[in-house]
Amino acid sequence: MVQTIIPADTNGIRDKAAIVGIGETEFSWNSGRSEIQLASEAIKAACDDAGIAPQEIDGLVRYDMESNHETLLTQSLGIKNLRHWESVSYGGGAGNATVGHAAAAIAAGFANYVVCFRAANLRSGMRLGRARGPERIAGGAQGFAAPWGCMAPAHHFGMFVRRYMHQYGATSRHFGWVAVTLREHASRNPRALRRDPITIDDHQNSRMVVDPLHVLDFCQENDGAAAIVMTTPERARELRHSGTPTLVEAAAQGSGPRNDGIIYRPDLAVAESENTARDLWARARLDARDMDALMFYDHFTPFCLINLETYGFVPPGEAKDFVEGGQNIRFDGQLPINTHGGNHSEAYIHGLTHVQEGVRLIRGISTAQPPSKTINRVLSCSSTAQLSGAVIIRRG
Amino acid sequence: MTQEREQAAKSRPMTAPLEGVPLPDLELLPDYERGFWEGTRSGELRIQQCSDCSVFRHLPMPMCPQCSSLDYGWTKVSGRGFVYSYVIVRHPVHPAIAEREQVPYNVCMIELEEQDGLRICSNVLEVAPEDIRIDMPVRVTLVPAADEPDVVLPVFLPSLQ
Repeated sequence: MVQTIIPADTNGIRDKAAIVGIGETEFSWNSGRSEIQLASEAIKAACDDAGIAPQEIDGLVRYDMESNHETLLTQSLGIKNLRHWESVSYGGGAGNATVGHAAAAIAAGFANYVVCFRAANLRSGMRLGRARGPERIAGGAQGFAAPWGCMAPAHHFGMFVRRYMHQYGATSRHFGWVAVTLREHASRNPRALRRDPITIDDHQNSRMVVDPLHVLDFCQENDGAAAIVMTTPERARELRHSGTPTLVEAAAQGSGPRNDGIIYRPDLAVAESENTARDLWARARLDARDMDALMFYDHFTPFCLINLETYGFVPPGEAKDFVEGGQNIRFDGQLPINTHGGNHSEAYIHGLTHVQEGVRLIRGISTAQPPSKTINRVLSCSSTAQLSGAVIIRRG
Repeated sequence: MTQEREQAAKSRPMTAPLEGVPLPDLELLPDYERGFWEGTRSGELRIQQCSDCSVFRHLPMPMCPQCSSLDYGWTKVSGRGFVYSYVIVRHPVHPAIAEREQVPYNVCMIELEEQDGLRICSNVLEVAPEDIRIDMPVRVTLVPAADEPDVVLPVFLPSLQ
């Protein structure tokens, strides 16, 4: 058996692609319109932000969970020749990975203007938090979980959280500080679904849904769409945001050893994204000290602690002390996390809004812009999931 | 609070596997999973074991992740183990859980004594959810599913050690 993971530290995309446009629909509990409508609106908004026409798009990177396919979308957007298209598997794991794939497509010369997008009615349509699937299972990981009631994401991820608490002494209260901070960020963000500030006591007194997770540890389930337009740095100089260019510096994806039934992984206190982190830092030739703000995929608040450790911002087990009181991770703190409010309070668009917020921070236009420092580099990354992705974007 | 009042404030223990939840269809399962369910139906907890390097694996898979052998068998295990991690589900997400008022219930990852990291997802019966602990010793018992008695579910009981 091959015992070691061979490094893959070549960075063929470094500074070869620029994010030139970001756009989204409103976020809601019931959009009242189709997913193709949402996708078209978000992509149009991102093109407007970039200063290009939707017809100029010649590349699309979609999530494979996305209902909107290239065929219908090219028709809706009026694209004359789609030169490049691809899908990235999984939800939260895809968020940052779509940006890495788009950067690679641009670096390779496959397309000039590539759009990453996610559009879904995840509240009024199919809710991911509800148990679903056939009454009779035809095999696979579900057959070794659902008969005992392990059916929803919180059941699986709660298993990781319990083990993490056991191993490192983290408590629900520590997760509460993440919730309080993300909600404070959202309270400044007019796009956010949840803007009423909460206290640590609100978090502790909130309904226990899947012990150890309170309802205020969960992300939102909502409708909406987000899109990002990317192109070459040369073309970016001719576009609207030429004064504050945002470049993709490095990207990585990774997996754990067992991705079908993730609760069967060898060590539930350790995130599979340690593999992603290792490759990302090696490719970027950077480390945690070089980052100015963090966009963490917060499907559940505890994973902000786990990511702080996995990506090396604090030693294993010390994230609980780092987040205590929230000051370190606030927008005006040492290492701001999710200044838009994240999946927790802004909206859940499968991680693409996190990359958008990174772009806002670099442009200096976030609604929770750190007051006393320039944001030059942002890490946006998935958390524990089937598969994970990460990207570093920087001021060009 | 007296001990009795503390006990009364606890949720009721599970006494049987959940009802109305999705179950495997024994006719449709892939060949490499069938040995598990054939085992429980015969009254034994059997785990897939590589015929070449003897490493156990669960979830069942066609190939050994250690030595890449495609040969495997099904080995009866003792059914003794401990709770590796667990959640207590208090909010129902499946209609049958809501309608039949089956919350709260626990889901536990049980580590079996035969091999480090060899784990199985299950429930621990006869213990209040608030009393479940990581490292708690447990032993298996096999219970036919209420909705499909041919599917026999391994569940666990606290074990006195």
